Amino acid sequence: MNSERVKDIGKICIPGMRLSPSDKEHISGPGTYELKGYIYASLAGILKMEQDESTKATKVSVISSRTPSVLPMTGDIVTAKVTVVNSRQVQCVILCVGPSVLVRPYKGILKKEDIKFTDKDRIDPYKCFRPGDVILARVLPMTEIHWYHLSTAENELGVVIATAEGSPQGVSMLPISWSEMQCPKTLIKEPRKVARVIPENINQSLFPIDNKGEVKENGL
Amino acid sequence: MPLDYRRFNGPEDSIPYNYYTKEYLKSYHELHRELIDENGVRKDGRTLDEARSLCMFFARTDMISQAKGSAYIELKKTKVVCSVFDPREIMHQNEFSALGQLFCEVKFAPFSCPRQRRPHAPDAEEKALSVALRKALEPTVCRHLFPNYQLDIFVYILEHDGACLAAAINAAGLALADAAVPMYDIITACSLAVIGDQMFVDPTEAEENLAIMNPEKDGINNGLITMAVMPELRQISDFRQIGSMDVNCIMKATEVLQKECEKILPNIQQILVLNVVNSFEQQKQLEKEAKEREAALNAKMEEWKTLLNAG
Amino acid sequence: MAGLLLSPTEKIYILHGVQDDYRSDGRTNIDYRPMELETDVVSHASGSARLRLANTDILVGVKTEIDVPKPDNPGLGKIDFFVDCSANATPEFEGRGGEQLANNISNMLQRAYNSSQAFDLKQLCILEGKQCWKLYVDILILECGGNLCDAVSLAVKAALFNTRIPFVKAALMDGGSVDFQLSDDPYDCKLLEAGTAPLLVTLCKIGDKCVVDPSAEEESCSVISLIVGITGNPKYYSKDAIETPNFKCKCSTIGMNGPGSVAPETFKNAINQGIIAANSLDEALGRALLRERQECNNFKKNSYGFLK
Repeated sequence: MNSERVKDIGKICIPGMRLSPSDKEHISGPGTYELKGYIYASLAGILKMEQDESTKATKVSVISSRTPSVLPMTGDIVTAKVTVVNSRQVQCVILCVGPSVLVRPYKGILKKEDIKFTDKDRIDPYKCFRPGDVILARVLPMTEIHWYHLSTAENELGVVIATAEGSPQGVSMLPISWSEMQCPKTLIKEPRKVARVIPENINQSLFPIDNKGEVKENGL
Repeated sequence: MPLDYRRFNGPEDSIPYNYYTKEYLKSYHELHRELIDENGVRKDGRTLDEARSLCMFFARTDMISQAKGSAYIELKKTKVVCSVFDPREIMHQNEFSALGQLFCEVKFAPFSCPRQRRPHAPDAEEKALSVALRKALEPTVCRHLFPNYQLDIFVYILEHDGACLAAAINAAGLALADAAVPMYDIITACSLAVIGDQMFVDPTEAEENLAIMNPEKDGINNGLITMAVMPELRQISDFRQIGSMDVNCIMKATEVLQKECEKILPNIQQILVLNVVNSFEQQKQLEKEAKEREAALNAKMEEWKTLLNAG
Repeated sequence: MAGLLLSPTEKIYILHGVQDDYRSDGRTNIDYRPMELETDVVSHASGSARLRLANTDILVGVKTEIDVPKPDNPGLGKIDFFVDCSANATPEFEGRGGEQLANNISNMLQRAYNSSQAFDLKQLCILEGKQCWKLYVDILILECGGNLCDAVSLAVKAALFNTRIPFVKAALMDGGSVDFQLSDDPYDCKLLEAGTAPLLVTLCKIGDKCVVDPSAEEESCSVISLIVGITGNPKYYSKDAIETPNFKCKCSTIGMNGPGSVAPETFKNAINQGIIAANSLDEALGRALLRERQECNNFKKNSYGFLK
């Protein structure tokens, strides 16, 4: 292999390679693992060292060009699509974990009491979700085998994309309050558990929105 | 053995015609003499301690585009394909398991073996190989990252000329790394056939066959060993021996195998590094193209804006 | 051994004990727990044995049948192992639950008996290329209390030692058919030579050391165990010990079990340790079997069966 090609890539790691000691200055990040006081690579990829601003520690991680075989882990924010709604719970399929798209969909379940943070005993799932809605949710600790338990009990979590009943496909409703959305075409209002989220990659010049403070706050 | 009734299986008591050829009726000593000449050179020109991995090793990844990761390994006439898929739900499981499971399947192509035709239904040897492969891979995969799920690893042996388990383990290790499955270490494996006081490193099928054949001389060492090693962590992840050997022979064989496994390592490392470089360049190319497209789009938009303002 | 929970402190206690070659029940690292063995317990089998090791209960029956030898080994007989994990042992074995475990054990036995130095299949030949004996070794696991492999291999060896094969005279007739002559006397039979039959020793890795015959507590401290098949020494199985040759015991199979891995040094030590353990086990088994045969010949044998 000629050294010219490798020059600008950075340090290439393969699984089992010892990267650094594991101490206060070095934290093991994604794509690495700790063993007996050292940090080792667990993926084939490129080494990335980044300084954490708050703790002044270097986070050692390995970035693979492929999406690693990720599964939703406890605490992750996932994008899911609602499939079934009944009076006790909402069933959905998990499509993405954070920024990475899953190859297989995994089943998730959202219990009635995990939908909202307040008024837990007066939640009606029918007034929060409809089949077909795309939601953001957080993964709760795993207790069952075939299901991931999810929660939307945060302001930033809930319905992101939804289509009103009778509206044409592809026309999604816009949020008008934290509990209602409206279709721009038919002007039908429907109740939803709305997520307070502004997409990151929105073209600001086309959609002039003047709430940049919130964007920072919601940074997912 | 369960038969696959959906296919035409042929008469059950058929035996290969090779059984009646002169080649087949050779005695143990004739076969032995044939395998190695007076100078200690094997039939295919290698010396006793020379593995095929040094001269004939050929491997690549991304063999199968549908799979998450895949690999192909060729050791002269032993050819193995392996593919790895994303974790999926375990069917019929009703117990919570904190560690993910590996599902390995080793399959011989029906025409892969020089002696008998392989049936379609998995036979005992295939099942044993699948178990051995799973055992060898389990310590190296970070299984805590996919609790309650299973990772599928399929190995297909296209052509079998000895050391197929070692080739399968090497291929599976490569495919796992290619699929970006988090691993504690790379895994390498090697086989060894013992006939008397001779050790055939990386044996061919003929040598393997002679090693597990029952010798006419009593009391000599004979048998087969396959060992899988995690080189960086210096751990043996699997060790399988069959035949009959005394302690000294096993100790010596372990040493030899350990060295051989270390020799294979650079080959595998090279492939993985090359992969990273290639994918990095690919990504750079894609990013460049994306930037070009974006610039073109922006230019178009400016054009329209001026048109709009003018109109 | 599901449902057994140990605290980290208890595990460390066990680990330290193993490092000092003194285990929590007073054994050293190569000691087995006491065993009970009785042969000839099933009347319809050619040979049988029942072994109880702590809570593990194994019943082995050997049936003999006549078969055609394989074309690649015309002079050899056949031996096949079948393990049945009865749901009596633990409810987990119900249905197909025990299948994998059963396959593992029978595979291990098949591999261990593969070599001619472990078990000579020539003694099962009736007429070369035409007829041979086939031994069906059926292993029933009645109760499962850990360390199955070792217990099964001991019981199998005892059952094979006990197996009688009738004398058969075979002659090749015209047209390639085979004619048999069997004696009417049920005592007109030969005993199998099972002295070299291998014993499987499971070595459970705890820390850097290995222990044989682990208890349930010890098993839960370990992620990997080594199974070593060691051929027996026919010296221990014959009354006139001087005349029979003294074979050096050899490894007939090695395998690993469990999800962990092992360092090369530990591995080598474990094999040496396994050979020592197997040797003493073999000697004890031989003595017990000879004593029982002696009692049997003198009609003094006490039969215990399953009531004990």
